Amino acid sequence: MAHAIEIEQLTKRYGSVAAIDGLDLTIDEGEVFGYLGPNGAGKSTTIAILLGLIRATSGSARIFGQDVWREAPALHRRMASVPSEANLWPALTGEEALRFLGNVHGSVDEAYRTELIERFQLVTDKRIRAYSHGNRQKVLLIAAFASRPDLLILDEPTTGLDPLMEQVFQAAVREAAANGQTVLLCSHILSEVEAVCDRVAMLREGHLIETGHLDVLRGLVALRVHAAFDGSVPDLSGVDGVTHVAVDASSVECEVTGSVEPLLRALADGGAVRLTTREPSLEELFVSHYGAGSEA
Amino acid sequence: MSRSPEAAIARRSLKQLWLGAVIWSVAFGGTVAASAVSYVSTFPTEAERQQVAAATSGDAGLSVLLGPTTAIDTVGGYTVYKCFVFLTTIGAIWGLLAATRLLRGEEDAGRWQLVLSGSTRAGRATAATLLALLAGVGILFVGTTVLTVAAGRDPDVGFGIAESVLYGLSIVIAPAVFVMVGAVTSQLCRTRRMASSWAMGVFGACFLVRMVADAGPDTHWLRWATPFGWTELIEPFTGNDAWPLLPAIVAVVVLAVAAVALSARRDAGSSVFASNDVTELRPFGLASPLGLAARLDLPILIAWCLGALVTGLSFGLIAKIATGAVPESLSDTLDRFGAGGSFVEQYFGVAFLLAATVVALIAAGQLGAASDEESTGRLVHLLAGPVRRATWFGGRLGLAAAGIVVAGLLAGVGAWAGAVTQGVDLGFGPLVGAGLNVVPTALLVLGIGAVVLALAPRAAAVTVYVVVIGSLLVDLLASMVDGLAWTARISVFHSMALAPASSPDPGTLAVTTVLGVGLCALATLLFVRRDVALG
Repeated sequence: MAHAIEIEQLTKRYGSVAAIDGLDLTIDEGEVFGYLGPNGAGKSTTIAILLGLIRATSGSARIFGQDVWREAPALHRRMASVPSEANLWPALTGEEALRFLGNVHGSVDEAYRTELIERFQLVTDKRIRAYSHGNRQKVLLIAAFASRPDLLILDEPTTGLDPLMEQVFQAAVREAAANGQTVLLCSHILSEVEAVCDRVAMLREGHLIETGHLDVLRGLVALRVHAAFDGSVPDLSGVDGVTHVAVDASSVECEVTGSVEPLLRALADGGAVRLTTREPSLEELFVSHYGAGSEA
Repeated sequence: MSRSPEAAIARRSLKQLWLGAVIWSVAFGGTVAASAVSYVSTFPTEAERQQVAAATSGDAGLSVLLGPTTAIDTVGGYTVYKCFVFLTTIGAIWGLLAATRLLRGEEDAGRWQLVLSGSTRAGRATAATLLALLAGVGILFVGTTVLTVAAGRDPDVGFGIAESVLYGLSIVIAPAVFVMVGAVTSQLCRTRRMASSWAMGVFGACFLVRMVADAGPDTHWLRWATPFGWTELIEPFTGNDAWPLLPAIVAVVVLAVAAVALSARRDAGSSVFASNDVTELRPFGLASPLGLAARLDLPILIAWCLGALVTGLSFGLIAKIATGAVPESLSDTLDRFGAGGSFVEQYFGVAFLLAATVVALIAAGQLGAASDEESTGRLVHLLAGPVRRATWFGGRLGLAAAGIVVAGLLAGVGAWAGAVTQGVDLGFGPLVGAGLNVVPTALLVLGIGAVVLALAPRAAAVTVYVVVIGSLLVDLLASMVDGLAWTARISVFHSMALAPASSPDPGTLAVTTVLGVGLCALATLLFVRRDVALG
């Protein structure tokens, strides 16, 4: 299969600080690729280089075989992007912004745009300045999907969207994938990436630390469990799948991967009186699996 | 240690406006000092002063246009008359634009809401911003007063410290009051542009009332009705009456209280006047980035072009009065600017130097808008699409250049029309030519600003202001102080012929134009190669 994106030894330095350092990454055409990492990991820097907005210090980045810096305007006819900050022209209405973005891109599927406006429930005769952040984000998402590009680059695109609209977004990504379009989705929302992506790469402090199919992600996903006891806290260190055990007086906090049954049995035997569970954030997962590292 | 959030708000606001205030305060003080020094060198004898006073005092037309002419036979009276319209107009517009930028502009951008989510309330945050704006007015006062006192140390000028302080206070009445006008319209209107437009409307109304008040003795009582009238009534250096400061203080306090009260009573992001946030599609300007830039910036460009037209018209209207009775020494002064020809041609030559300032400043507004497009992240939507960087950057510069050419043309047409109504006819061609003569210099300024935009976008507009105002001051001082004559070489206006008094040299015009366009091309090359600010 042909490559949509090929990145080799890509480095971007700001003075002595490397925002990304020696990145190697290949994304195939037609893939929905999740690009994950905590804030400041270098995701947006990578995307800015791919969009030809900033220049790499060294290394190379190619999209559909063309250099992202030298061939930017020609490449951009085959691409569409949504940045995480939805800053648009406040005096324009939503409809005017969509028309303008469509004209700038040069290719719009009008019928699909109308359909997306309905599905995202966007009121288009309001001025952008009267929109919420989520509605401004919808304008950019509709403009990007309606241009039917070969490659969609989406940088934290669902910031500000409610759960219902998140579902509409995921459906649009699946439709794009079904049409053979390539999608690069930057996110730090695990469930979003899990729902739509074929492969993922994980970035931390400018370095790729994992690349592979969703199993990589699933291997990381753990449940964080907090249990309180009337009496003493049982020893959980030997229980299957349990890690990162922290005891505090009459309570314990730990992570569990795989089946929760051994842990539940141990907690019940130990006399647990209260139990709470939650999914750890991406940042917590990174810290627990790859260590705290050096914070910038 | 706990620190007051209002102090932080005031500090941040002051940080946003202090540089502009310092630049204008030096420009204000420099203008006052130059006027005083030039008067004593142009009219060294009592007889010459009486002669110019006799030619101007009691002339209702001159009073309507430029203010009181009653004490032109004194250094102080002439200085007040010469600077009155220029300084009060610029001061008022600076004040109202600064207020709408720091209040409604911040709210438009959503930053005000962020401020209000801290441990403060809308009324207190507004009051803190107003204090910072008043500190900016204080900077204007200090700059004007210090340079006036410095000029007054010349025994021939002889301004006392107390009367110089009173003069400084009279000059900052307009900026102080119009800061508060801008603060109130920022509460009334939904957008910064609307708030500025309403405040400009109040300014226009006050200006008209001032003109009526100066039309004759029957209407002099109207001087008590506007900030411009209060400035006149103080009569610095001659009457030295401090009482008109009282209505100015009352107006500032009442408007400030109104702005704070209105801000405390409304929702953040809303306005007292209902806003039109739902509207029909208007397709104009949606076809391309240049089209959208034209659509969004056209009102501002039209305002600048009208400003150039009115500037030319004003100089044309007073051409006859200004050149009717002049001593040899004034001709000598104009000669020192390098102007030749008849006296009325010399007058227009220097008038177009001032018109060139207005035309050249168009670059500041357009470069500021381009910088804003980048810093807010909106440029990313264009450059992440198939828009070439050079196309966007060149389009922006082209729009500014078009505005400059039209403004230069209108300045010439205005000067011709104004002069013709007064029976002064130098011919349509020479005066329109004189208007177009300022265009290459303005393009050079645009080129300098464009290079800064390509390297450090946020500094571009400020650079243009510094270059243009600095060059004007250097030209004024170099023409008046023999020891500073060499400094004229660093002015961008140095190579500009003072048409119609001097014939523009085609070679110089071509070199200046090529230099301006060449700098724009260099700037485009630099921009194409640098990283885009990511908002």
